[in-house]
Amino acid sequence: MKVAQLSLNELRALLVGPGLRVKAGPFNLSIRTRLPSLIRQLHSLYSRYSLVEEDEIVEFHVQVIPRRSVRRPFARLIQFEVDGRFPFPPVPLEQALATLEWGVNLVIAARINHFLLFHSAAVERNGHVLLLPAWPGSGKTTLSAMLMYHGYRLFSDEFGLMEPQSGEFYPLPRLMPLKNQSIEVVRNRLPEAMLGPEIPGTLKGTVVHICPTQASIEQSDETARPRWIVFPKWSAGAAVRLEPLPQSEAFLLLATNAFNYEVLGKTAFNAVTNLVRGCECRKLVYSDFDEALAVLNALTDG
Amino acid sequence: MFWKACNFSSLPVENWNGEFTVFQPESGKTHFLNEMGLKILIILDQSPASLDTLCQKLSEYFTLQPDVQFPGQIARTLQRYEALGLIARVKESE
Repeated sequence: MKVAQLSLNELRALLVGPGLRVKAGPFNLSIRTRLPSLIRQLHSLYSRYSLVEEDEIVEFHVQVIPRRSVRRPFARLIQFEVDGRFPFPPVPLEQALATLEWGVNLVIAARINHFLLFHSAAVERNGHVLLLPAWPGSGKTTLSAMLMYHGYRLFSDEFGLMEPQSGEFYPLPRLMPLKNQSIEVVRNRLPEAMLGPEIPGTLKGTVVHICPTQASIEQSDETARPRWIVFPKWSAGAAVRLEPLPQSEAFLLLATNAFNYEVLGKTAFNAVTNLVRGCECRKLVYSDFDEALAVLNALTDG
Repeated sequence: MFWKACNFSSLPVENWNGEFTVFQPESGKTHFLNEMGLKILIILDQSPASLDTLCQKLSEYFTLQPDVQFPGQIARTLQRYEALGLIARVKESE
């Protein structure tokens, strides 16, 4: 059953009561909130996600709750909570959706150690995963969003989720936070995309969430093996360049950008070694999406 | 003073066309070494060696021209390796 099959009242009853239990890739998530604006946003933006079956265990229980501030008595604040803990300070009510999404990402990054978690976007084409590892600000969310509408299946804009023994990658198609200038780019290029409200004033500036496509969410149980690793960098005015990257450099970049490389120790060392040895490694510099798409298509054809 | 490698032969090493990754289970760290960095560990794993002996073996292996700064560079590398727990100081008789 999809969230879309719930009326707003039914969704509200779950969010206010026992929790909305939704699938997020290989994880199950329970969300609670009584904030009317967030309930309306989730009714729209989570409509494509499946509900968790009753007999399934939920890994993460999170909620977004209203907060009062003695210093700011008239401010309408909210805070993200996971298992009685508050990893972020209170923020304005308008940032509830962004805080929920970042909070869930934080919980995944902090708690999941049965996967090797790369700080990376990941998409699938022709049955294989294209991994796009990058530091924040490199444009991987925007690139992922664009690729998702041009023949690629979204795995994630944030996590490369690798089962370390098998080397298999797992999809985790969650809402993607477009930031600042990229919002208009995506609005203009992808008028069919389902976008959330504009959320100004976050730590990362103005944010608008884009919902993964129906196809990406519906195929989120279909894992795939990696074949290409491309380190992307958006650079204003740059001509597109897709250049070979030495495997040693790819290893270094991947190992240092994984969330839990040191936690997994030798398992991670072996997993990254096998990953790099089995993939074509490139670095991509671009300023124009169509040019980037052309070189990525050429790389991933056949 | 002599130096010896600490369990080097048990460490996983991967060769990336002349660059090497070495995983150290005790610290959970991965080290990136060039060919000379790895050769130092290999020599000290075969038998303890002084700085002079080590420099002589490295010079022969890499056919290096005499360089007065070379021993100082190797000494700094040894100090770094010692801090990482990759090598240890030993008495001559050990």
